[in-house]
Amino acid sequence: MGKSFLIDTTRCMACRGCQVACKQWHGLPAEKTENSGSYQNPADLSFDTYKLVRMKEETVDSRLRWLFFPEQCRHCLEPPCRDEAGDPSAIFSDDRTGAVIYTIQTRNLDADAIREACPYNIPRAAKDGTLAKCDMCIDRVENGLLPACVETCPTGAMNFGERDEILALAKKRLTEARKKFPKAVLIDPDDVRVIYLTAFDPALYYENAMADAGRFDMSRKMALRRMARPVSRGLSRMLRL
Amino acid sequence: MKLDRRQFLQATGAAAAGLAVSGLGFDLRPVKARAQMLKTQYARETGSICPYCAVGCGIIVHTSRRGNGRVMNIEGDPDHVINRGALCSKGSALSQLVENDTRLTEPLYRAPYAKEWKKVSWQWALDQIAQRVQETRDASFEAKNAAGQVVNRTTAIASVGSAALDNEECWLLQAMMRAVGLVYIEHQARI
Amino acid sequence: MTNHWIDIKNSDCILIMGSNAAENHPISFKYVTEAMQRGATLISVDPRFTRTSSKADIYAPLRSGTDIAFLGGMIKYILDNDLYFRQYVAWYTNAPFLVKDSYAFRDGLFSGYDPKTRKYDKSQWGFQLDDRGNPKMDRSLKDPRCVFQLLKKHFSRYTTRVVSQVTGTPESDLIEIYKTYAATGAKGKAGTIMYAMGWTQHTVGVQNIRAMSIIQLLLGNMGVAGGGVNALRGESNVQGSTDHCLLWHIWPGYLKTPRASNTDLAAYNKKWTPVSHDPMSANWWQNYPKYAVSLLKSFFGDKATAENEFGYQWLPKVDDGKTYSWMDIFDQMYRGTIKGFFAWGQNPACSGANAVKTRMALEKLDWLVNVNIFDNETGSFWRAPGVDPAKIKTEVFMLPAAVSVEKEGSITNSGRWMQWRYQGPAPMGDSRPDGDIIMELGARLKALYEKGGTFPEPIVNLKWDYLTAGKYDPHKVAREINGYFLRDVTVKGKTFKKGTLVPSFAFLQADGSTSSGNWLYCNSYTEKGNMAARRSPKDAVNKIGLYPEFAWCWPVNRRIIYNRASVDLKGQPWDQEQWVIKFVGEHKDGKWTTKKWIGDVPDGGWYPMENPDGSKRSDSRYPFIMRKYGHGQIYGPGRADGPFPEHYEPLECPVSKNLLSAQLTNPTAVTYDTDEDTYNTCDPKYPIVGTTYRVSEHWQTGVMSRNQPWLLELQPQVFVEMSEELASLKGIKNGQRVRVSSSRGALEATAVVTPRLRPLKIEGTTVHLVGLPWHFGWTMPKSGAEKSANLLTPSAGDPNTRIPETKAFMVNVSRL
Repeated sequence: MGKSFLIDTTRCMACRGCQVACKQWHGLPAEKTENSGSYQNPADLSFDTYKLVRMKEETVDSRLRWLFFPEQCRHCLEPPCRDEAGDPSAIFSDDRTGAVIYTIQTRNLDADAIREACPYNIPRAAKDGTLAKCDMCIDRVENGLLPACVETCPTGAMNFGERDEILALAKKRLTEARKKFPKAVLIDPDDVRVIYLTAFDPALYYENAMADAGRFDMSRKMALRRMARPVSRGLSRMLRL
Repeated sequence: MKLDRRQFLQATGAAAAGLAVSGLGFDLRPVKARAQMLKTQYARETGSICPYCAVGCGIIVHTSRRGNGRVMNIEGDPDHVINRGALCSKGSALSQLVENDTRLTEPLYRAPYAKEWKKVSWQWALDQIAQRVQETRDASFEAKNAAGQVVNRTTAIASVGSAALDNEECWLLQAMMRAVGLVYIEHQARI
Repeated sequence: MTNHWIDIKNSDCILIMGSNAAENHPISFKYVTEAMQRGATLISVDPRFTRTSSKADIYAPLRSGTDIAFLGGMIKYILDNDLYFRQYVAWYTNAPFLVKDSYAFRDGLFSGYDPKTRKYDKSQWGFQLDDRGNPKMDRSLKDPRCVFQLLKKHFSRYTTRVVSQVTGTPESDLIEIYKTYAATGAKGKAGTIMYAMGWTQHTVGVQNIRAMSIIQLLLGNMGVAGGGVNALRGESNVQGSTDHCLLWHIWPGYLKTPRASNTDLAAYNKKWTPVSHDPMSANWWQNYPKYAVSLLKSFFGDKATAENEFGYQWLPKVDDGKTYSWMDIFDQMYRGTIKGFFAWGQNPACSGANAVKTRMALEKLDWLVNVNIFDNETGSFWRAPGVDPAKIKTEVFMLPAAVSVEKEGSITNSGRWMQWRYQGPAPMGDSRPDGDIIMELGARLKALYEKGGTFPEPIVNLKWDYLTAGKYDPHKVAREINGYFLRDVTVKGKTFKKGTLVPSFAFLQADGSTSSGNWLYCNSYTEKGNMAARRSPKDAVNKIGLYPEFAWCWPVNRRIIYNRASVDLKGQPWDQEQWVIKFVGEHKDGKWTTKKWIGDVPDGGWYPMENPDGSKRSDSRYPFIMRKYGHGQIYGPGRADGPFPEHYEPLECPVSKNLLSAQLTNPTAVTYDTDEDTYNTCDPKYPIVGTTYRVSEHWQTGVMSRNQPWLLELQPQVFVEMSEELASLKGIKNGQRVRVSSSRGALEATAVVTPRLRPLKIEGTTVHLVGLPWHFGWTMPKSGAEKSANLLTPSAGDPNTRIPETKAFMVNVSRL
C-alpha cells in the first residue's frame, strides 16, 4: 500500500510554511529572485526548490479567487520517470513507502528525457545533470516523523499517512468541499501518491496540475497509459512527437 | 488522520528496517544510510516559542552536541496545544535566523563624525554607555517642573523597546529606566 | 485578546477586519479552519483582497479609514431589526444607564469641545447619579436619556446608503455582512472579531475598536466561547512588554505613571483608585493601592518603607496633560531636546511613521545605543545612502543581542498565555542576552551613583539582585514579578512565612508586607512552581480548548475574560454546548446554598445574580468587574474623542466632505508642526489613498527576516499593489519599478498590478488605493534599493493612544 499525501487546496492559504520547511529540512540554498508582479517566488521548481506554492488570480463564476497550489512530486504509483530511467540505482520506488527516490546516480541519466517523461513536469537538473525533486522526506518518514511540509501545515491542507487512510480522507474531504465548491475534484487519485483536491478546474491552478497537461502534447488517456505501463525510451520519444 | 508525534512513532514503528532494497542487485548503501539516519538523531532538543507574531507557537530546537554546538534544525512542536507542530514560512525558516553570517557578534562603536564602525569590548562599551547616561541625566535632571511640582526626571534621554525582550527582561529594563528618571519610555505597542 | 487562539474554533461567525490573519498570524487559521469545518462563516473586510479574503465565505472591500462608518451601519442594522441580545444588553451593559443632560451631539461634535485646545470637557458626558452616587438606570431601555436610546439616535444617520457612499462597499455586500454577523446575537451563537493594526493605526483607532465592542456587547458576544474582542498582537512578546509597561503612561500591571499633581503616595492612590457605592459592583481597581505598594517594594526592596512612601518620590513624574509617547519622542528629538537614546530590539528608522523626520531626528542625538541581532537602518543611520557621516556627530554603540532560542525566559502571547522558553545553543560569538546587558548596565550605573551624582537615591536603592553565578537569572526576576511575602503574615485566614511566593494577587497588601513586580502576573510563579512552564495536554471539563494546565495566563489563569457574562442571571450558560463556566452550587427552597463554579476560572467566584426561583441576590456582583460600575461599556465617557464612535475622515483623505457630519476629520486628532510634518487633504498632487501592511514572509521592519535568504527568496523586494484600472491610467505594467511619493518622502517599488485591488466609488467619484508592505530598508537586501514604506506616512495620531495613522494617507504613483 505505502504512503500517500492529500493536498487539500481548499484549505491552503499560501503561508508557504511548507515551501520553507522543505528547504530547511533538506538544507537547500535560497534562490536569488525578483518580484515579477506576483507574490509567487521562485518562479518555478528547481534543483534547489522541491516544493513551490503556485499562485494564480482567477475570476470563477464572476467571483475573484486567489488559487494556491502547493506543488511537489506526485510520487506516481508507476512512475514514468523511473521507467524512463530504467536504472534503479538512480531512480527507484521505495518498497515500504512508495516514495520515488532520485539518487546521485541520476547524473548519468538523460536529464531531458527524464524531465519529459514526467506528466507533471517535476524533476529539475543541476548543471552537472543530477536530478532532484521531493523525496517524501523519506528519512523523516522512516523514523516515524511526518514529512516536513506536512508537519508544518497549520490548516490541514497537507496530509500524509497510509494510502488507504489518505484515500478515505480524500473522499471525505471531497464530499465536504463539494458543499461549497460543486466542481471540486481529486486529481488523478488512482495514479499518484500525492493527491490534490481542488475547488475548481485544476487547469485554473496551474497548467501541469493534471497529467493531461498541454506541455506534453498528448492526451490524458495516453499519459495515463504511459503511467500504467512502462514504455521504452524509444516509444516515449515517439509519443512526444 | 493527524496523529500526535508519539502515536505516529508507534504507528509507523520507529525502528523501521530502512529501505527495502534487497533483490534489486544494486548497491544502495549511501541512500539507505542517509534514509535511516535522521540528521537530528543525536542532537539536543529544547523547547522554545516562536519569536515572530504573538500566536505563541511551540518550536523544537535541535542543537548539535558536537563541534561548536550550533542549531541544526528548528521545527514546530507537535505536542504544543496551539500549533500542534505547524509553523508559517517565517517559523519554518527559524534555523536561518539563528545560524546566520550577517548576525552581529561583537559590540561596535561609531565615534562622532567617523565613517566606520570599530570593534570594541563589552567592558568598554558598557562603561562608556553608563558614563553617557550619567552625564546626560545629571545635566538635564529636573527636580521640579515649571509649576514647582516635584518630578525627579530627565527628559533628555529616551528609550524604545522592546516586544522582542522576554517578560523578565522587560521588567528589568523598565525598572532601570524608571530609576534613572526616564519618562520617555516606549516600545512597539505604540506603533 | 479577551479570548485566545484556540477559542476561535468555537465561533459561529468570524469577522476579520483591520487584520489579515492568514498572512500575519498564519497559525490562527488552524482555528479559523476548524470553526469553518463546524459550519462557521468567515467574513473578510479589507481594502485589498488578501490571502485571508481568499479563504472567506464573504469578502467586501472598503476604503481604508472608513471602518466606523461600516461598523456604525452594522450597529444601526442590529438596532433597527431588533437583533440585539436583550437580556444581556439590559443586565450586563451600561445600555440602561441614564446620561446627564449636558451630553449632546451636534453635527459631528460632542458637547464640551474647545476649539482652542482641540480637547473635550469630558465631565459633560457623565451619568446621572442617584443619592448614593450610582448611575441611574432604566433596565427597560426606554428612557430617552438612557445609553440605549442615545445609541439608537447617534447611529440613526448610518444608513446603508450613506455608509456605502462613504466606504465604497457595495450596499448589497453591507447588508449581507450585517445580516450574517448580527445572527450571532441569538442565544447560544457566538461571533468573534480578529483585528490588528488595520484598526489601531488611524486617527480614530480607539473608536474603531469601540464600535466593534459595542457590536459585541449588543450581540452578547463578550465573555462567551468563540466570541470576544480579539486584538491579534504582532510581536511574540508585545503583550508581555505592554503588561510590564515599557510605555510612558503606565507602570507594570497597568498602574498609572504618577502625574506631577500626585504629590505623594496617598494622593497618587486616591487619584487612581476608583470608588463605587454600588455593593453589586466588584470595582476591582479598588485594590489599586495594594498593587502600587507591592510594585514599589519590588523596585526598592528593603529601602522602600512606609516612612519614605515606599520610595514613591524616587520615581519620575510626568506633567499633567502632557504626553511622552513615541511620536513625541521623535518630535522632541528632532527639536534637539533629547540627547541620548536607547533602541532595544527596535528599528525606529523604518518602523515609525514619517521615517524622514525620524532619521533627521537621530542626527540630532549626542549618543545612541542600539541593541539588535542584525545591523539595521537605525544603528547605521549615519551611513545611510545620501548621508555624509562626516557631518553626523552622534556616537553610536551597537550591541549584539542573543536570539530568543539562545536564552531562557518567558513571553506572553496574544491570548495572554505566558510561556516559558529554554535555552538551546549558547549565544553566537560575543552576543549576549538582553537580560545580561541590562543587568550589567544597571550594575555600572549603581556603581557610578554610589560615588556621587545628582539625586542618586533611586539608582542606588534600586533592588538589583537578579544574578546567579554572575549571570542574569530569569527565574529570579520571574519570582520577583510574581511577588513574595516580606514578613510572616496572615491574609484571608491563611498564614504565610516570610520569603514565600504570593499565591495570587488576592493576597497582595498595601502595607509593605508583600512585593509584586506586576500584580497581573501574581500567580504565575508560585510555591507550586513555574506555572508558565506547564505542558499538560489535558483539556478542561467543558472541552472547549482551554487547556488550563498548559502554560499560564493572566489574570489568575482565566482563559476567557468577562466569562461571567457567558451565563444568565442564574449562572447557567447561554450556550449549553460550548459553555465557558457554569454554576453548579446546591440549592434549597429555590435559593442557592453552596457556591461552586466549574469550567474556566470565573471572573470572581461570587454567587450568580439570581437564585433558581428568580429572586435577586445581594451577595453577587455584575460581570464586568474591572469597570467601576460593573457593566460593559456601550457608552464610553472616558475616551478623548467622544463617548460614542463617530466617522471622521483620515487626516489625509481623498474627499472634501464628510457625508455624516460637517466635521471632516477627528477634531481631537494629534498632529505635529515641524517642517517635516505635512498633511495633505484633497491635494491633486497626491490623489491616491495609500496604506501599509505586512506579508507572511517578512516581519515588521524586516531586520530579522530580510537577513534570511530563504525569506528574501519568497519576497525579495518592496512592492506596491494597485488595481488594473489605476495601472492602466498611469501606464504602469505589472512587475515594473515605479515611484511612490507623498509630501513627506518617496521610494521605488515593484508594481503588483492585480484584480485584488479595485477602485471604489466614493460619493459618486472613483477613488484609487495602493498599498505597500513596510518590511524593507536600505541595509538589506544589499542592493540598497528596497526602502521603507514609512518614508511616506504622516505623524498624525489617535488622541487616546497617539498611535500613528499609517493605514490611510495620500500618495501618488508614477512611472520611473
